[in-house]
Amino acid sequence: MTKNSSKLLHTEDWLAVWIGFIIIAAGLVAVLTGWFDFSALKFKTWTWGETVTGAAAAKVVPLGQQLASGAFWLKGLLTLCVLGVMFAVGAKLTGEKFSKFIPAFIGVFLLSVVVRLISAEFTLNRYLEWAFWALIVGMLISNTIGTPKWLKPAVRTEFYIKTGLVIMGFSVLFSNIAKFGLYGLGIAWVVTPVVILFMWWFGTRVLKMDNKPLIITMASATSVCGTSAAIASGAASGCKKDDLTMTISISIIFTVLMMVLEPVIIKACGMTPIMGGALIGGTVDSTGAVAVAGSVLGGEAEKAAVLVKMIQNILIGFIAFFVALFFATRVDKKNGQKVGAGEIWTRFPKFIIGFFVASLIASFVVLPLAGADQVKAVNGVLDQYKNWCFVLAFVSIGLDTNFRDIARQMKGGKPLWLYIVGQVFNIVLTFAMVWFLLSGAVFPIPTLD
Amino acid sequence: MKGLVTAEDARRRLSVGSVAAVLVGALVLAAAVYIMIHGLGLNPDLDFGAGAYYYADIPDYQKTLNWDTFTARLPFWVYLLLFLAWGALMWRLWKRIDR
Repeated sequence: MTKNSSKLLHTEDWLAVWIGFIIIAAGLVAVLTGWFDFSALKFKTWTWGETVTGAAAAKVVPLGQQLASGAFWLKGLLTLCVLGVMFAVGAKLTGEKFSKFIPAFIGVFLLSVVVRLISAEFTLNRYLEWAFWALIVGMLISNTIGTPKWLKPAVRTEFYIKTGLVIMGFSVLFSNIAKFGLYGLGIAWVVTPVVILFMWWFGTRVLKMDNKPLIITMASATSVCGTSAAIASGAASGCKKDDLTMTISISIIFTVLMMVLEPVIIKACGMTPIMGGALIGGTVDSTGAVAVAGSVLGGEAEKAAVLVKMIQNILIGFIAFFVALFFATRVDKKNGQKVGAGEIWTRFPKFIIGFFVASLIASFVVLPLAGADQVKAVNGVLDQYKNWCFVLAFVSIGLDTNFRDIARQMKGGKPLWLYIVGQVFNIVLTFAMVWFLLSGAVFPIPTLD
Repeated sequence: MKGLVTAEDARRRLSVGSVAAVLVGALVLAAAVYIMIHGLGLNPDLDFGAGAYYYADIPDYQKTLNWDTFTARLPFWVYLLLFLAWGALMWRLWKRIDR
């Protein structure tokens, strides 16, 4: 076997790409042909007894009823088998023993089931992402009884994250770039990199932070779309697990506030729905929160918010690509060292290529050929596998994290100030762009059907 | 002397920035907990919030995918060119800032 083909089969980066592609292919075949049901386990919403009204009430299924269903256990077994087999083979190819990996994976998977169960609770899932609960569950174990030694072979954060990102590539439709014409491009694409550069400058020059992976991870989360962008940029820059934990925790907590307060402030300012929606789409981190906050301002605002956010989400892959390139050519090189094309290729995280290929196939092959309904159905299946990969990753981070390490990373509150100042800059710049493009003062106000 | 904390050390540790960060952090956390306890900002007609959602959950998601929510005036390649040109400019600027 040649050296190159050996790398294709024995490095975590490439294995993540292959596993991601196999899952995407299986999802496509299952949905487009209807031959089999490939959907993974997903808890339906349940409550502790809260009063639920509106359309959401119809979707609440008591937890006991869910657990008593045979289909539930069958889906659970399918998810465990699909992911277990894929990751076990991957782990074996990177030198792990089956006998150690399989029981460890079952353990981490069961913890992930607990996380998904908690994050399906009606109130909890509306405010805090599963990533938050995964970190909490993992950290509770590691900081109390300690992570059992037998679980450690399956604590493989990067492997799960990279695989999840490749699967996520299929849902990031590059063709969305023109969805809102120059308006969307201006609000999403002009502002996003400027915010990243500002936060880079503020973090390195003003706060004098030397942890550059943390700065770029936080800048991506703030300017693009919260958790997903943090995961992608964090993996591309090689940030530490503590950095990712801190970034995501800060982003999630602030998203709760912004989701509720931003529409109230926008209403109080008397902004038009299309301007308010676009501002929400450009500044609220999480996509779900964007849709909810936009809906408070009405249908048109919700559409504008979702359109802007969808365009922003395209940027995840590009930003991760350039972050990886920047770190390979500038941050990780030694003084005076010249980095040639070969070295850049060696250092470049290959899962980003998998992400792009998946995105291009979805945008320019599957969407035109199969149509939007089928793309939605395929994404509905793949989304669950992506979520399972990320939950496995965040449980792994929690199992590997010490509270003291996180406290040490706070370094005088600098990461918090970086986020706050960056987010304020993001809001001001996005507002300026929204006014410029959508107020009618300079350009005609667009119509959203 | 090792083990002794000088007044200077203590002052450095308790800088204004870190005290303010703790206060702001606590305030933000308290506000988030308040919001969650009181169920503020939710839309009863949307079966998701900040944490549990997917595009496929968003009402009329297919409509947005079908290109008819907004009619773009320029051809796709123009947007692509603008996208790439702005990206290239930002890349150069980033390298300059990092000098």
